[in-house]
Amino acid sequence: MMIQIIAAVIATVGFSVLFGVPSKYYPYCGVIGGAGWLVYLIALEHFSTAGASLAATMVVIFLSRLAAVRKKCPVTIFLIAGIFPLVPGAGVYWTAYYIVTDQLRLAAETGYTAVKVAVAIVLGIVFIFELPQGLFVRLAGNK
Amino acid sequence: MSTSGQKRIESTIDTAIDCDEDEVMELAMQAGELLLENGAEIFRVEETMDRICRHYGVESASQFILMNYILATAGEGHGHVFAKVRHIPVNGSHLDKVAAVNQLSREIAEGKYTVSEAYQALETIRRMPDKRKSVLILASGVASGAFCCLFGGNLMDCLAAAIAGFLIYVYILYISGPHLSKIVGNVGGGAFVTLVCNLLYMAGIGDHLNLMIIGSMMPLVPGVAFTIAIRDAADGDYISGTVRMIDALLVFICIAIGVGMGIAVLNPLTGGAAL
Repeated sequence: MMIQIIAAVIATVGFSVLFGVPSKYYPYCGVIGGAGWLVYLIALEHFSTAGASLAATMVVIFLSRLAAVRKKCPVTIFLIAGIFPLVPGAGVYWTAYYIVTDQLRLAAETGYTAVKVAVAIVLGIVFIFELPQGLFVRLAGNK
Repeated sequence: MSTSGQKRIESTIDTAIDCDEDEVMELAMQAGELLLENGAEIFRVEETMDRICRHYGVESASQFILMNYILATAGEGHGHVFAKVRHIPVNGSHLDKVAAVNQLSREIAEGKYTVSEAYQALETIRRMPDKRKSVLILASGVASGAFCCLFGGNLMDCLAAAIAGFLIYVYILYISGPHLSKIVGNVGGGAFVTLVCNLLYMAGIGDHLNLMIIGSMMPLVPGVAFTIAIRDAADGDYISGTVRMIDALLVFICIAIGVGMGIAVLNPLTGGAAL
């Protein structure tokens, strides 16, 4: 599990570089990505993939907004890289794979799961952005 | 100038610097353009343009922003009217520029810039150097390797995914980016990743072909378009949200088609290694 978290941190920082995040924010992106994956792994023991994605997304967005308020910069900088490990890229791969290898039942199943994960991410983003900005200002100020 | 205009300037003169309306509008548009083309949300573009106009005392400004258009007007009554439409090709995400313009607009609102100084600051941001290509390629490789590990690959799988990740970014930077359309570029990207991973697998590097492919196709995945689409839709900017979501979905599907084609062609050659 520790190795997985480290991999998540490295992957997140890698994508921050690709998206042109200013280099002084790499540590924040890494921590947010790692925290998201940690929550995902823990939640996966109790919930479905989609449920775990929802929980992880909410944590990623919450931390991103906190970092954005604290550093006074656009929240996009933190959340895009942090959310990347959760985007169902693997789901898309398996769906394509099962379609090509004529396992249509499995293809439908994985495709359906990928859509559910995408919806979970959408909900996670929308829910946390609904929280008032003042809350984050207070939290960031108290730190 | 009409009397209402004079009154307006008088009433705002203590908080704002009186200056040429057209220049302020042009400044706001350039700031908006920089934000939009580098991957900012609609609402941020609106807010920034609004902030600049208000600070320099152009109260009549209004703007309408779509995914790749900015329309802005200023002026009221029968006097001089500023109106401009600009088409903005979106050129990927450079979040450092978004952050810099955001910071600049805050500082403008705090009164640290005159209009001409703000122009210069914008020009500096526009010329901010991109990250070096070698750095991007390296980052893509490292991230691909890490993703392979994330999905359960072992050390050799990660190494193979990293090599494929290097190559896919070379492909993005030098072949698909400048020369190919989005659809062909992504179908080709998916097929390219599959081909490279198959070759590595046949050469004995890596044990899990599937995980290698998943890891190294991640640099193609449209995470930015997907996330910004949700943000736009959540802010009520449905048109931009929808268009960006279609964009993301299209890319997802193209990658899947490319990978699928790769597997279909190569599976017989590798003796069904991916099966």
